Amino acid sequence: MQAGVADTAAGAAKSDQRAGKYLTFRLGNEEFAIQVLKVREIMGVQDITAVPQTPHYVKGVINLRGKVIPVVDLRLKFGLPEAEYTQHTCIIVVQIPGASGPMLMGIVVDGVSEVVSLTAGDIENTPDFGQGVTVPYLLGMAKTKGGVKILLDIDQVLTSQEVCGLEQALHHS
Amino acid sequence: MPDNDASLEREQRLRQAVDELAVQLVMAEDESAILRALGEVERLACASGRPELAEMVEGFLKQDAAAEVIHPDLAALGKAVERLQQALAEPASLSFSSPSAPADAAPASSGGGINILAQDPELVRDFVVESREHLAAIETHLLVVEQDPHASESLNAVFRGFHTIKGLAGFLELGPVQEVAHEVETILDLARSDRLTMTPEVIDLVLRGADYLRTAIDQVDAAAAGKPSGQFADNRNLINELRSLAAEEQDSGHQPQSPQKDRTAEPAGAAKPTAGETTPGQTGPEQSLRPAVASLSDSRTVKVDTGKLDHLVDMVGEMVIAQSLLKHDPDMAAVRTPRLQRIISQLSGITSDVQKTAMALRMVPIGYLFQRMGRVVRDLARKAGKQVELITEGEDTEIDRQIVEALADPLLHMIRNAIDHGLETPEARAAAGKNPTGRVRLAACHQSGQIQIEVGDDGRGLDAEKILKKAIERGLVAPGSQLNESEIANLIFEPGFSTAERVTDVSGRGVGMDVVKKNITRLRGRIEVSSARGMGTKFLLKLPLTLAIIDGLLVGVGKERYIVPIYSVLEMLRPSRQAVNRIPGQGETVLVRDSVLPIIRLHERFGVTPRFSDPWEALLIVAECEGKRFCMMVDEFLGKQEVVIKGLGDMLKNIRGIAGGAILGDGRVGLILDLEAIFLGVQENG
Repeated sequence: MQAGVADTAAGAAKSDQRAGKYLTFRLGNEEFAIQVLKVREIMGVQDITAVPQTPHYVKGVINLRGKVIPVVDLRLKFGLPEAEYTQHTCIIVVQIPGASGPMLMGIVVDGVSEVVSLTAGDIENTPDFGQGVTVPYLLGMAKTKGGVKILLDIDQVLTSQEVCGLEQALHHS
Repeated sequence: MPDNDASLEREQRLRQAVDELAVQLVMAEDESAILRALGEVERLACASGRPELAEMVEGFLKQDAAAEVIHPDLAALGKAVERLQQALAEPASLSFSSPSAPADAAPASSGGGINILAQDPELVRDFVVESREHLAAIETHLLVVEQDPHASESLNAVFRGFHTIKGLAGFLELGPVQEVAHEVETILDLARSDRLTMTPEVIDLVLRGADYLRTAIDQVDAAAAGKPSGQFADNRNLINELRSLAAEEQDSGHQPQSPQKDRTAEPAGAAKPTAGETTPGQTGPEQSLRPAVASLSDSRTVKVDTGKLDHLVDMVGEMVIAQSLLKHDPDMAAVRTPRLQRIISQLSGITSDVQKTAMALRMVPIGYLFQRMGRVVRDLARKAGKQVELITEGEDTEIDRQIVEALADPLLHMIRNAIDHGLETPEARAAAGKNPTGRVRLAACHQSGQIQIEVGDDGRGLDAEKILKKAIERGLVAPGSQLNESEIANLIFEPGFSTAERVTDVSGRGVGMDVVKKNITRLRGRIEVSSARGMGTKFLLKLPLTLAIIDGLLVGVGKERYIVPIYSVLEMLRPSRQAVNRIPGQGETVLVRDSVLPIIRLHERFGVTPRFSDPWEALLIVAECEGKRFCMMVDEFLGKQEVVIKGLGDMLKNIRGIAGGAILGDGRVGLILDLEAIFLGVQENG
C-alpha cells in the first residue's frame, strides 16, 4: 500500500486510471463492479411506471425525490433471462454524462454486494475474444479474494444503443 | 521538484479521502464512519493548502456537533461531496480563487494562469448572462438616444454596457469581442463629449456592434456547453467602419456639432477607461427616461440559477405528496381529533401556498420581451420608410420565462406584418387624414388565470374582400359561402393562405400567420384577430401563465395510468353499441353528434392489456388536433388533476405519444400523453 501511494505520487498520469473503489453487484451468476464515484444512491425496487415504445430493457421511470428518472434492467440490457424481483433486488442510481449535462439513471441488479478497493495490479485487461467482438463497456477484469469481477464502464453500458456480445463473451470465458 | 511531488501526494491523499467519504455515504450504514471520513477530509484539505475545502466540510461537522444526536444530513452531504470532487478535478481554478493557499501548493496547481481561468465554466457563464443583460439594456437605451440624441443618462448607460462587456471579454481573453466593444466605446465616448452626434446612421453602426457581440456571446455560450461553436466572425469590416467614423469625427472634432459646449470640457481621455476598472455585475444606479426601463433594472431582485429553482419546485411537489400521504394515512384517521384535523388543514394551506409561491418564481415581467421589440420596430420602420411609434402597456405583467422566450418569434412576425402590411406610408396616412406616424401597440394583462397579449396597429386594416377572394382561389372556402367579418379575418390563419406574393423583402422568410398560430397553439394558447377597415388590425393572444403546470385528466388503461392534457380534450363519452362501426381493414369509427370520428385504441398503440375491449364498455375521449377530431379509447376516467410537467430525461425524450411525466398524488410517476403525436402516428401507420 505504501509503495502504491509513492507510485501514484511519482507519476499520477502513468498510474492505472482504473484503480480505485468499486461497488460490486450480482447479475445472474456473475459479479460485476462499477466505479463507486458514479453511484449516487442505492434503493430497493419500487413501483416502476412502464413507458411504451422503449427497448425492452428500459423498465420505465421512477420518482426519485421529485425527479423523474429512467430505470434500465441490466439483466435485460445484457441479454440475460428476466428474473423475478426479490427483496435483494436493488436499483442503483448512477450519474452518467448525457447530451445536456449529467443525468441520473437507475439500474436494476440482482443484489448489491460490497465496496472493494482495487489497485492497478488487481486489474487485468479483458481477454481478446477474437472475431472482432468489441466490448467498449468492459473496463477489465479484477482478481479479488472472492473471485473474478467484471469491471463495467457504466457510461458506455447505458449510452450505447446495443450491448450485445457480453453474453457471448461470458459463455466463452 | 520535491515540493511539487509532496503537494501532488497530498492532493492524491485528499482525493482518496473524499472518495472514501463518498463510499461511506453511498453505503450509509455507519454514521460514525461518515463523520470520521469527514474529519479526515478536513485534516487533509488543511494540510494540502485547500482551506476553502476544509471550510466546506467544517460547516457540516459544526452542524452535527450542535445537534444532540449525531445525524448528518445525508442528502446535503452528498451534494457537498459532489462539489468537493468537482473542486478537486479542477485544482487550478480553485487555488486561483484562494490566494491564501500556502506557497508550496501554488506552483503545482496554478501553472496555467489566465488561460485556465478562461475555461472556468462559472466565470464564462457569468460573462454570458451578464453580457446578454447589458446588450438588452444597450438596445433599449439606444432607442431612447435615437429619440433624443442628448439623453445623456441613456448614452452613459449604453457606454457603460459596452465598457463592462469589454472588460469582461478582456478578462476572458476574447480578443475579437474586446476589439469591437472597444471601438464602439470610442464612438460613444465621442458622443458623450458632444464631438459626434448620434444620428440614426451612427446608431445603426452601434447596433451592428451590439449584434456582433451578441453573436459572439452566443458562440461562447455554445462553446462553454461543449457544443460546436465555430470561430468568431470576421470583425475587420466592422472595426474599420467604426474606426473611420471615429477618425472622421476626431478630425473635425475641433468644431463640436452640438451647441452644448459645456460638456466638451470633459476630456475624452479621462473618460476612456481601462479594463482594470471594470466592476462586473454593477452598472450603477440608472435613472432612465422610460418607466419601463426603470422598473426592469430594479435592484430589489436576485438572480437565481434555474436549476435551483427547478429543484425547489421538485421538493415542494414532494412535500405536497408527503402531506397528502400523511393526511390519508389510516393510522392518522384512527386518532383523528378536531385539533389534529385543524393542524392538518393548516399544513395543507401552507403547503399549497408554498407551492404557488415556488411556481411564481419562474415568472418574469413581459416587459423584457416588449423591449426587444422596440429594436425590431425601429429597424423595420427605417427599412420600410415608415414612421412608426411603439406603444407598450402592461410591461409588469408576469409570465413564465419559457413562454416569454417562445413568444419572441410569433410576436416578431406579427409586428413585421403590422409595419409592412398594416401601416400605410406617411403620405398615404396624411392623405387619409391620419397622423403620419403610425402606431403599433403591444399590451399585456392578466385575465381569468391567463395572460392576454394584444398586438395592434392603426393601419389600413384587413381587406375582407381580398381575403375572401384569395381563400376561394385557394379552395379554403366554397364559393358563395356566407361568412361574417370575423370569420373572414380568421381565414388568414389557415395553412396555405399565406403565399409568395404576400411575402415582401421585409416581412419575408415565407412564414405565414398559420405558423404563428401553430406556435401559439404549441404554447397551449389561442389567437384571434379583429380588424376595422381603415382603423387598424388587432391580434389577441391568450396564453397560459406557465408551461410548467397543466390541468390534466387522469385516465386508466389496464394497470397503467396516463394524464391527458385537458386543453386538447373536447368531451368524454361512452358510446352506444349502435354508434360504433368497424370498417374492414381500416379501423373503427364512432358517431358523435352527427360526425363520424375515428377511434384510436390507446392500449393498442402502447401495447398495454386493457380491461375493456369494446368501445361501448370503455370510455372515449374526443380530442382535436390540427382541426381534425378523433376519439381515443381508454378504460376509465380517474379524476382531474393539476400536475407539474417533468421531462423523462435524455434517454426517453423522443418517445412518440409521450409529452413527459408527472408525479401523481401517491408519489408514483404518471405519463403525460401527446395526443397530436398519437393521432399522427396512427395516420402514418394507416
